[in-house]
Parts: sequence; structure tokens; C-alpha cells
Amino acid sequence: MLFARMLRSAAGRILCLCCLAHAFALAPLAAMADHRAANVLVIYSNGRLLPANVEGDRGLREALSGGAGPAVNVFDEFLDIPRFSGPAYLSAVTTYLQQKYGSHPPDVIVAGGAEALAFALEHRAALFPDAPIVHMSVPKANLGTLAKLPPDVVGTPIEFDFDRTIEQARRWHPQARRLVLVTGAAAQDRAWEARLRDASPRLGKDWETVEFLAGLPTSAVLRHLEKLPGESVVFTPGYWQDGEGRRFTPRESTQALVAASSAPVYVPFNTFVGIGVVGGYMLDFEGIGRQAGRTVNEVLHGAASASAAATATMPNVLNVDWRQVRRWGIDERAIPDTAVVHFREPGLWEAHRLEVLLAVCVVLLQTGLIAGLIVERRRRKLAVQAEQKQRFELVHASRVAVVGELTGAIAHEINQPLGAILSNAEAAEMILASGARRPDELRQILADIRRDDLRASEVIRRLRALLAKHQVEHQRFNLNEAVGDVTSILRAEARRRGATLEILLPNPAVTMVGDRIQIQQVLINLVLNALEAVAELPEPRRRVSVEVEKTAGRVTLLVRDRGTGIAPDQMPRLFDSFFSTKSTGMGLGLSIVRTLVEAHGGRVTAENGVDGGAVFRVELPAAGANGKKKREQT
Amino acid sequence: MMDRRAPPLIHVIDDDEPLRTALLRLLAAAGFEAQAHASAGDFLLYPVPDRPGCLLLDVRMPGPSGLDLQAALPEHGVGLPIIFMTGHADVPTSVRAMKAGAVDFLEKPVQRQNLLDAIGRALVHDERLRRERDDRDRLRERFALLSPREQEVLEQVVAGKLNKQIASALQVSERTIKTLRAQCMDKLGATSAAELGILVERMRRGSEG
Repeated sequence: MLFARMLRSAAGRILCLCCLAHAFALAPLAAMADHRAANVLVIYSNGRLLPANVEGDRGLREALSGGAGPAVNVFDEFLDIPRFSGPAYLSAVTTYLQQKYGSHPPDVIVAGGAEALAFALEHRAALFPDAPIVHMSVPKANLGTLAKLPPDVVGTPIEFDFDRTIEQARRWHPQARRLVLVTGAAAQDRAWEARLRDASPRLGKDWETVEFLAGLPTSAVLRHLEKLPGESVVFTPGYWQDGEGRRFTPRESTQALVAASSAPVYVPFNTFVGIGVVGGYMLDFEGIGRQAGRTVNEVLHGAASASAAATATMPNVLNVDWRQVRRWGIDERAIPDTAVVHFREPGLWEAHRLEVLLAVCVVLLQTGLIAGLIVERRRRKLAVQAEQKQRFELVHASRVAVVGELTGAIAHEINQPLGAILSNAEAAEMILASGARRPDELRQILADIRRDDLRASEVIRRLRALLAKHQVEHQRFNLNEAVGDVTSILRAEARRRGATLEILLPNPAVTMVGDRIQIQQVLINLVLNALEAVAELPEPRRRVSVEVEKTAGRVTLLVRDRGTGIAPDQMPRLFDSFFSTKSTGMGLGLSIVRTLVEAHGGRVTAENGVDGGAVFRVELPAAGANGKKKREQT
Repeated sequence: MMDRRAPPLIHVIDDDEPLRTALLRLLAAAGFEAQAHASAGDFLLYPVPDRPGCLLLDVRMPGPSGLDLQAALPEHGVGLPIIFMTGHADVPTSVRAMKAGAVDFLEKPVQRQNLLDAIGRALVHDERLRRERDDRDRLRERFALLSPREQEVLEQVVAGKLNKQIASALQVSERTIKTLRAQCMDKLGATSAAELGILVERMRRGSEG
């Protein structure tokens, strides 16, 4: 150590590199010895904003600040090649650096990039010959073209692995037949193109077509990429300069290509990830910077030659943009586990496990509920149908029973014409037997027979209509006619019971909508009920009247009797099933009346008349008012 | 008085016009004279001619029924036998009608033979009634010839009393009783005390029925 300091102060900067290397190898640098802050000058080949430089710088600083020992001053310089070049420029830069850092001589120089290393080596004598050089981001191939490096120039070289990237693309796009390679016109671009052209015989085996778009104007390249057939894959390292001389950073040029391309684009640099490229085997510039930083630390500590001089290259890692994987339909299973996947959106399950579980639970519960409700609804519908059917059966059964009660009246109604027919026929027989020629009388007899026959069959027809188990209808019908059809039987029944039945129908006739038979049933039940009510009275007082009125949109059917009326305590239960004041009654007549009337959208009420007896009032909607109402009901 | 040889007149009472007409035709064809009435009231509206005949009566009619008419006829002095017709025979009605003296109870439709047979029976019945009525009338005439004293004696005789008992009861001589008794038998045309009893019995029954 003393020796080293003596050397530096006394012999200046003309000691041979061997000695320096010896000293370097044996002892830490002076800065470390006297605990002042070490100066590290980083010289980059390119511009300050080149993404590779930005990331490399970040890695480098991270490694330097993380090292043990005193603080490190890091100074950055950018040669800005290829925008600026030429011996005069470089010589000027040398002078500039010499002047600038004279007062802060660097302890280590870091050369970022092949051009920077070449510059540092070429101008080393004029610059800071004592400072060891650590290189980073220098391709292995470039190291090969340089003269053998002095021992105090160390670093881990890089290697761009274009082939592996293209092979990976081949695997991910098994349908692709065309490989398009895009390069530029700058010297570096030409170098990349040369590499690709060297590889093209190998690529030709994998791809049907290998197409070079080398050194073309950017506009022409974009136009071409826009129209690529579906089975194409693009590979580009980007370019610094296009065929028209426009300059870019490779990232900028690639960004333009990606925006235009109709095929997936693969690249060799991880700084391009995120602009729309699929990915590729890439160098990690931040990692490179970190590696360089570690080497600098080791150099500063004077014990690093072994690892720093290692000839291994920086690893290339497969990087891939998840969004592009999705966009181009790449099989996810074909992505190796070692790949660095960028922009992978966490799946819904990963991001919102609890919410998803909750949502699934809610959906399941809801589904269960809905299924339950549907089942319930169906059961209810079936129950309603069954109930309607039962009610229909009951209504019909009741009607049959009522007609049974009317047997006497019906027999009278039928026997009357039958009796007339028989007597007429027998009279005719006797007239003929007597040999008397009375054709006019015979003709009249025959006419009467026909008339009475029709009268009898009409009774039977009406009876059949009443007894038939018909489908419930919902049609317009003439209420006067419907009442008229059952009038004769009701009158006959009234007569049989020694009562008088008066029927008053409105003129003009009333039309309503509903089931004609059921309305007739309502009338029959009410009239029979009224006849029951007057049964105990002396015959002259056994009077029942039926009156039909039409008032604004409603038809009112009134059935009055002159009986003893309804006792107040019976009033509320009057229309209940099985409520009867008669010993023989089933108590269904009035309850069925109510069922039928309500099914027609009407209502039935009972009251005691002013002159004694009961009045049953049925109010029904007339046709036209609520004509379309309640089709589904019995 | 009535003409017993007058042809019978059949009264048809039914509210059903076609049936009425048909019955009239049939009866006419069978050689009967017949009259039609639409109701009981119609029938009673005009005096019933005193001729042999019968009533062909519907049980149920608007207004007074056939049974009502049956009950009302004696008051109106009409003794014609009644044949009931009904469209639907119920037992209580028919029993009531027969008890009240109906000759027959026919169910509609009525066959000719049944009808004519019933009418035949009714006319025979009517004939007998008329004869009984005539007999009773004649008997009543003869009883009317008896003096109050003779009637008193007759009652005692019919009651089975001996002349002596009667004489003591009426406080007259036994001989007087014998004379009054002979006068009674003479006026009534009886030949024995037993015959007297039969006549008195017929007389009593006749005035009751």
C-alpha cells in the first residue's frame, strides 16, 4: 500500500500497465485506503435517454450504493454515438473529460457499450491511465475484435441471442410460415443485419419464407408490415437509422413497427417489452448494470479480478408480454416456467378470491331460490288447475242435482206435447177408420203433431244443454234468450209447487259475456231457492218474480219471493257452502251461485224486501264494459 | 128436471191449448160431445148444464189446481165424476184425488183406450150417481108427505120400539100408534117394519152425502 502510493505520487502516470496490474491485483485502491469517497466515471456509448442506459444505470447505482465501504461518486458521460462520431469529436471529448475530471480523478472507469470501451481503451493514455476499466454491455463478439485486453480491464460481456428468440417464435406460432426480419441503415444496424443474414441458412429450414426488410425508409417498412399475411412473424432488434437517414433509438423504431404490424413482433431487448412486442430472449440491462456495479465494488476492494475477469456472458432470459400472448392466441402451456411474464393481469380468482366466492355463493343461492320459486309456482299452478277442475265438477254436479229436483217439471214439459201428439194421432186414426173424408182436419192434426214434436224435442235439447259437461265458455250471449230457455221448466216447477212465477225481461234484450249455461244455473238455483221460501205459504201467496234490468254497463238480475225473508243471523252465512235452513238442502245452491257470479266478475247480495220476503240481487258486467275479463276462470 | 136420455157431455179442463185441442179431436172422433176449458175458473164461469158426463181435469194448472176445483164442485152443485190427468204422477197427489172421489187418475200421455175406458167408467158412475140421486129425491118426496105425528112414530119404530112402548112414550093409545104406523108404511110404500128401517137409513145417508 505504501508502495502503491509512493508509485503514484512519485512515478506519476507512466508506470507500466503490468506494474499497475500487479498493484491492482494485490491491494485495494487508494480511495479505499484513505476512506475518501471513490469516484466512478461511467462512459456510455450512446445517448443519456437510451432505455438500455437508463436501466443499466439504475442497476449499477443500486449495486454501488449497496456495497460496503465509503460512499461512491458516480459520474455519467455519454458519447452519443452514432449521432456524433469521428476522431475529431472523440479527441475533443477526451480533452473535455480530461479537463473536467482532472480535479476528481476517477478511481474506476466504467465503459458502457462496445463503442465506449473502444474509446476508453484508445484514449486511455490521455485520460486516466491508472484507473481500472470495468466494461458492461459489450457484446462478446466485439471483445473478440478488440486487441487483447489489459488485465485491469474487466467485465462480463453480453451476447444477443437472436436465434433463440426466433426459435421461440417458431414454437409459439406453429402455423406461421413467413419470418420477416427488420433492420436499419446505421453501422450497428448493419452489424445486426449481418448477424441475421449469417443465420438465415439455418432459419430457412424452419421457415418457408425468410424476408429481410433492411435499410428501408420507415414508411415503406410500415406499409409492408401493415399488409403481412396472417401466418407471419416479425423479428427486429430495432434500428438506429432508416433508409432515409432518420434517426431513432431502436426502441422508438420498434414502437413504430409494432403499431403498424399485422403480425406478432419479437425483439431481443427487454427494454422493448410493453410497447406491443410479444417478447424474446433478452438481456436484462438492469442486471447488467448490477453485475457491472458488483465488479466495480470488487475492483475498489482490490480483490475482484477473478470474478470480474470471468469470461462468462450475461444470461439471456425469455421475456414475454402477457397481453400479447393473449392477443396472438399463444398457447399458455407453451410458456416455460423460467420465462419472465410481464403485464400478467391477475385472474379474477387470484385478484378477488373472496368476492368471487361470495358472488358464486350469491348466484348459487339465487339459483336455488329461483328454482324453488319455479317449482313452487308450478305446484301452485297445478293446484289451481286441480281446484278449478274440482270447482267445475262441483258446479256441474250441482247442476245435475238441481235438474234432478226439476224432474216433475221436466216430465210435465215433455209429457204435455207427447200427450197432445198421442191424442192427435189417435184421433186421426179414428177419423180414417170411420171412413169419413175430412182431409182438412187431418192436415191440421198432422201440423199440430209436428209442432208438438218440436216442442218436446226443444225441451230435451235445453235439458241436454243444462246437463252436458261442457267446456266453460266465454262468449257474448243474449241474456233474455238464456232466461227464456229455462223459463218454461221453471214455470212448470212453480206450477207443480202451486206457486206463480213472474218473469220480467228488459226490452231491448241484454247482451252479456260469459258462460250462458252457468248464468242459467244461477237463475235456476235462485228461483228454486225462492220457491222453497214460499212453499209453506197459502197457494195464492206463493209468488216469485224474476226481473232483469240493465243499467250503465251492468246487468242486474233480481229474484224476489214473498216468503218470510232472511233471518238476520243467517245473513252472513247465506252464501257459505253447506249452510242450509232446509232439512233436505245440501246448502250448495247459493254457494254455487256466488262462485259462478264471481267467476263472471259480478257479485251477488241478499236483502229483505220492503214488502216482506227476500230479494237476491245479482250484478253482472254487461257486454262491452268488461267484455274481456277473466277468461281463465271457471 | 134433467133429461136422463140426453147425450153425455165431457168437460176437458187443461191449461195446455194443444193438448186440449187434441183431446177434443179424439173425443169427437170417439163420438163424444166435449167442451174445453183453459182453467178451473173458466169452467166455473158459466153454469154447468145438467147433463150426464164427466170432467177430464189436469191436476196442475196456473191458478186453482185440479184438486182445488174438485173440492169446490159440490158447493157449485156439480156432481160430475172426475178423471184426473197429470204429466207427472206423484203418489200424495193421486191419493188425495182418489180419496176425494176421483174416478180415475191418468198419466199423460194418455192412451186412447185408457181414456175411453176411464170415460166409460165415469159415465157409468155418473149414471149410478144420478140414479141414486133420483131415488133419494123420490124418498125425500115421500118422507115429506108424513105428518109430524107420523114422523115421531116412524122414528120410534125404526129405533126398534114396540107399539106399546111408543104409545106410552107419546101418551096415546096403542091403537092410534098402529094406525099412524100403517099410514107411514102406506105413504113410504113399505111393506114391513124392516123395510121401513132400510128406507129411513137410506134417507139419512142420502141427506148426509
